[in-house]
Amino acid sequence: MFYDLSGFDVFVIVLVLLVILTLFAGVKTVPQGFDWTIERFGKFTRTLPPGLNLIIPYFDRVGRKVNMMEQVIEIPEQEVITKDNATVTVDGVAFYQVFDAAKASYEVADLNQAIVVLTMTNIRSVMGSMDLDAVLSHRDEINVRLLEVVDAAVSPWGLKVNRIEIKDIAPPADLVEAMGRQMKAERVKRAEILQAEGQRQSEILRAEGAKQSQILQAEGRREAAFRDAEARERSAEAEARATQMVSEAIAKGDVAALNYFIADKYIKAFGQLAESPNQKVIMLPVEAMSMLGSLAGIGEIAKATFGESAASSAQAAARRGSVPPTTPVPPAR
Amino acid sequence: MTGMFTALGAWNWLILGLALMALELLAPGVFLFWLGLAALLVGLLALLLEPGWQLQILLFGLFAAAAVPLWRRLARGGDVEVHATNPHLNRRTDALVGREFTLEKPIEGGVGAVRIDDTVWRVFGPDTPAGSRVRIVAADGAKLTVAAV
Repeated sequence: MFYDLSGFDVFVIVLVLLVILTLFAGVKTVPQGFDWTIERFGKFTRTLPPGLNLIIPYFDRVGRKVNMMEQVIEIPEQEVITKDNATVTVDGVAFYQVFDAAKASYEVADLNQAIVVLTMTNIRSVMGSMDLDAVLSHRDEINVRLLEVVDAAVSPWGLKVNRIEIKDIAPPADLVEAMGRQMKAERVKRAEILQAEGQRQSEILRAEGAKQSQILQAEGRREAAFRDAEARERSAEAEARATQMVSEAIAKGDVAALNYFIADKYIKAFGQLAESPNQKVIMLPVEAMSMLGSLAGIGEIAKATFGESAASSAQAAARRGSVPPTTPVPPAR
Repeated sequence: MTGMFTALGAWNWLILGLALMALELLAPGVFLFWLGLAALLVGLLALLLEPGWQLQILLFGLFAAAAVPLWRRLARGGDVEVHATNPHLNRRTDALVGREFTLEKPIEGGVGAVRIDDTVWRVFGPDTPAGSRVRIVAADGAKLTVAAV
């Protein structure tokens, strides 16, 4: 193949090939989002920014191609024991961005691994200092504390952790079940308290009502009694007045007229007693006997009034049941 | 091989140049475009002056090497090391320089904290009480240096 080529020809070909290879080795196009570190004889010298760059072939070579974009790493699941000895399973994510390609390349051997382990241990220490309830309800606080610690720890590696988020906090199944029961009991308690409150209220109201009605009834009775008393007083007064009028009339008139009335009433009463159809025996009060005796008195009155003859005829008339007219007594008003 | 090579003469270079340019489109950023340019140039010279093939190859190597400073100047284009459309791409901290924030944590022992875009940045500077306004004066990687406003 190279039989017709002189040494010079071969030299030229090889030289040009070498030049071209050297050019390829010296021109570096760094894509956006990456920084390349350059090592001269194995020692870091500089960082290539994105774009077209020249390096000196043979001396320089590209060391690490560092991703300068923000990256997400999964923090794997781990079991954490909280302050009150509950074991929870926790996982999360961390967002970080490299700001110094050289430090990220050479200050730490395995960046991702380092961040993951650091975050995991700090999750343990942060959550281990909190109760389970706090862990479940204060995720923001956990995230903030984690970020503070981890960010400070990674700063020598030329990167910044922008956020750490706890994704999932899973208490063991029996604990979850207990929590559910607790919540249910809480609600049942509330319901029963409310019911009891209602009952209490209603009974108080009922008692109030009964009290009110009894008071009103008593007031009614009192009022009625007052009025009854008044009525009795009024009727007594009327009675007294009537009696007074009668006695006044008697005082003005004659006793004989009064006696006549009484006698007349007695006789009428007797008439009624005698007329009752099934009456064979007539019970008379003792006073009746004396009243009969007073008939003699009536005779006396008659005598005094009309004289002897009239008196005898009056007695006969009295026996027959008719009475001679007398001066009428004015009615009591 | 050499028979074919010499038969085509200058056209070899021109064809090679175009092929290299085409390859550059398929695999960008590998400097093939410049080699293609060099090949075309050599082709043109070969057409005009018909030098010996060794000289042609040498010229090709020379042009390829000369393309580097030329390309660097083009790439710079008056310091276009960073592209003007978004100078702070992947250089987040540079964008923060000159902005003012409120200290969330006091700067004690030279280190404090400032909340920026829903994350907390450690800042370095003279001791300052919390709640005071600070301006970011320098950014070196993730290290922000502040001064009291």
